Amino acid sequence: MAREDGGENFRKAKEAWEKGRERYAAKLKPGTNLSGIPIKTVYTEEDVKDLDLDVMPGVYPFTRGLYPDGYALTPWMQQMVFGFGTCEETRTKMETLVEQGMEGYFGHKVFNVVYDIPAMYGIDADHPEAEGNVGQCGVHLSTPDDYDELIRGWELETTNFSLITGDNCLPGLAHIVAAAERRGKPPDALRGNSMNWYPRTAVQDIPSWEPEQGYALMVDLIKYCTKHIPPWNTTNIFMYGISEAGATPVQELAYGLAWGKSVIDAGKDAGLEPDSFVGRLGFQVGVQSNFFEEIAKLRALRKMWAKITRDAGCTKPKCLHARVHIHTSGNVLVAQQPLNNTARITMQIMAAVLGGVQSIHSCSYDETIGIPTELSHRTALRSQQIMMWESGMKDVADPLAGSYYVEWLTDQIEQEAWKLFNELEERGGYMKGLKDCWVKQAIDNSAYQRKKLIKSGELPVVGVNRYVTAEKEEHEPFRVDYAVEKKAIERLRAFRNKRNAQEVEKSIGQLEQACAKLKAGEGELMPTLVDAARKGVTNGEMMDVMRGAFGWVVME
Amino acid sequence: MAEKKIRVLLAKKKIDVHGRGSKLLARELRDAGMEVIYFRFGTVQEIVNAAVQEDVGVIGVSIMTSGHLLVAERLIPALKEKGMTDVLVIMGGVIPEVDFEPLKKMGVHEVFPPGLPGETIADYIRERVGKARLD
Repeated sequence: MAREDGGENFRKAKEAWEKGRERYAAKLKPGTNLSGIPIKTVYTEEDVKDLDLDVMPGVYPFTRGLYPDGYALTPWMQQMVFGFGTCEETRTKMETLVEQGMEGYFGHKVFNVVYDIPAMYGIDADHPEAEGNVGQCGVHLSTPDDYDELIRGWELETTNFSLITGDNCLPGLAHIVAAAERRGKPPDALRGNSMNWYPRTAVQDIPSWEPEQGYALMVDLIKYCTKHIPPWNTTNIFMYGISEAGATPVQELAYGLAWGKSVIDAGKDAGLEPDSFVGRLGFQVGVQSNFFEEIAKLRALRKMWAKITRDAGCTKPKCLHARVHIHTSGNVLVAQQPLNNTARITMQIMAAVLGGVQSIHSCSYDETIGIPTELSHRTALRSQQIMMWESGMKDVADPLAGSYYVEWLTDQIEQEAWKLFNELEERGGYMKGLKDCWVKQAIDNSAYQRKKLIKSGELPVVGVNRYVTAEKEEHEPFRVDYAVEKKAIERLRAFRNKRNAQEVEKSIGQLEQACAKLKAGEGELMPTLVDAARKGVTNGEMMDVMRGAFGWVVME
Repeated sequence: MAEKKIRVLLAKKKIDVHGRGSKLLARELRDAGMEVIYFRFGTVQEIVNAAVQEDVGVIGVSIMTSGHLLVAERLIPALKEKGMTDVLVIMGGVIPEVDFEPLKKMGVHEVFPPGLPGETIADYIRERVGKARLD
């Protein structure tokens, strides 16, 4: 920026500043953030003089946000994760959340429904390994009856069903499509999200498909939606999972972008035009504990994704947008003195809002102890609503733009993330990193380093290595009655008894054939799954066939 | 001759998610000189069989998605049935502190909250291994 005084006033101020600190400056211990980037105590115009700050919100490369006026047209979506028991318990919770004012864009309903572990793994309630897990940490959805109940009465066009499945995401989508059909609605009346996050096996130690098959299934879902449900958000790039596994914010960003690129590449390899599907990919990003680092990460993410998608051949502005749902970090919450977590969660929500995201799930303060209570879950939602309506934070788009520190940090994080991203690309890309497990190893090592820093006290955590007390935590968590398991099994059996057994058998045979074909690189699986859902094949039965065809392994 | 290494079977219940805590603990116990068999997911019977086969002195079960009471209720009698009455049984993960006493009443020797330094658990194991009994 040209100055009338040629910078003379700044030079004078800086000299005075240096004088003011010369007594102790040499003794200051240099700081770093969680990504290991050295941080100074003061930033000035000198730190940003080489940066291109001629950017506006809503304009490429979107560093300053996706929309020209930030949250002026509509605030972020409040998307609290919820789900437990059978669909009746979860219905009640949906109604409670609507009463509590949880809503998405323009007042639409948003249901961020998490499945229980058996449904995610693709086993039905009566499977021996499901015992003790049914409806505990999510809702058990398996039969057409369950899905009819899930969507009953909600206006499909204004209700967003985000289905937090595991690897049952194709069966989950097939079932909701069939349920919409039973209501006389075409698939494209549905609004919502599939997770479609097979690539998370690079960081999570859970059984899933063989890598090539995992990618093929992911693309199959994308193809189906591109053709039949264009408004459906097909794919969630689960940076939160990377973050929670132990990645630094820079690693999270770099590996998340590489993951996203691997999805684009897989879609292009399958013959899809980037503009036809990239706009329906979205990010789920973590927010850990360093406030400014997280804000800078979100700004850098938008800028980097805009470049990656443009380089991949996208031309529609929507396809260049990194749409972000925030999941505040569960890992940084602590079990000691759990109410203190409300301060951490509030800070994380603030970072998300100042970072200009589209949607937020805020964790509950007692998640380190068990399943959130009604009180803690409501408090987490209310914390978002306080930030939304009382704080003034949403009034101005990208309010930290122009801050020497934030602009410098955004640039640093971008540069560091490109290094890691390019390194991964040179080694063969994200999918190769998943298959050969380097992504996992790199992140495991970061988790280990982090824990060492906490142990040594270098990374302060209140209640863990600072202000530790011996007091007992008598916090009573939310308990899901084990009776729901019995109820789920009864529902399942009642459903199996009433369906047409011959049709189901035939349908399972067709599914086996379609899986074998997809494995051989031919045909599409989703239409056959939708047909199986129509015939009453359950989530577990579909997944059983799929596990047989596509393998079921833990990447080590 | 070098002292015999303490052998620890570290398992997660079948079925569970979130491996960060248990994997870190496996590494930290190895740092502390123990031999860790990282079993990941197992039903109670699979955990017991592995413990017998591997002849471990310690069984650690990590629980992230509830079900700890049910696991303990099955695990302790199953161990006794196999004659493994001299094994140290510990649990950790997302387990409410109000359940620590009920778990101990069932026979679990100690329960640890998430995020503790591995040394704390290693110290506990060194002190109690070989002495704890399941009666």
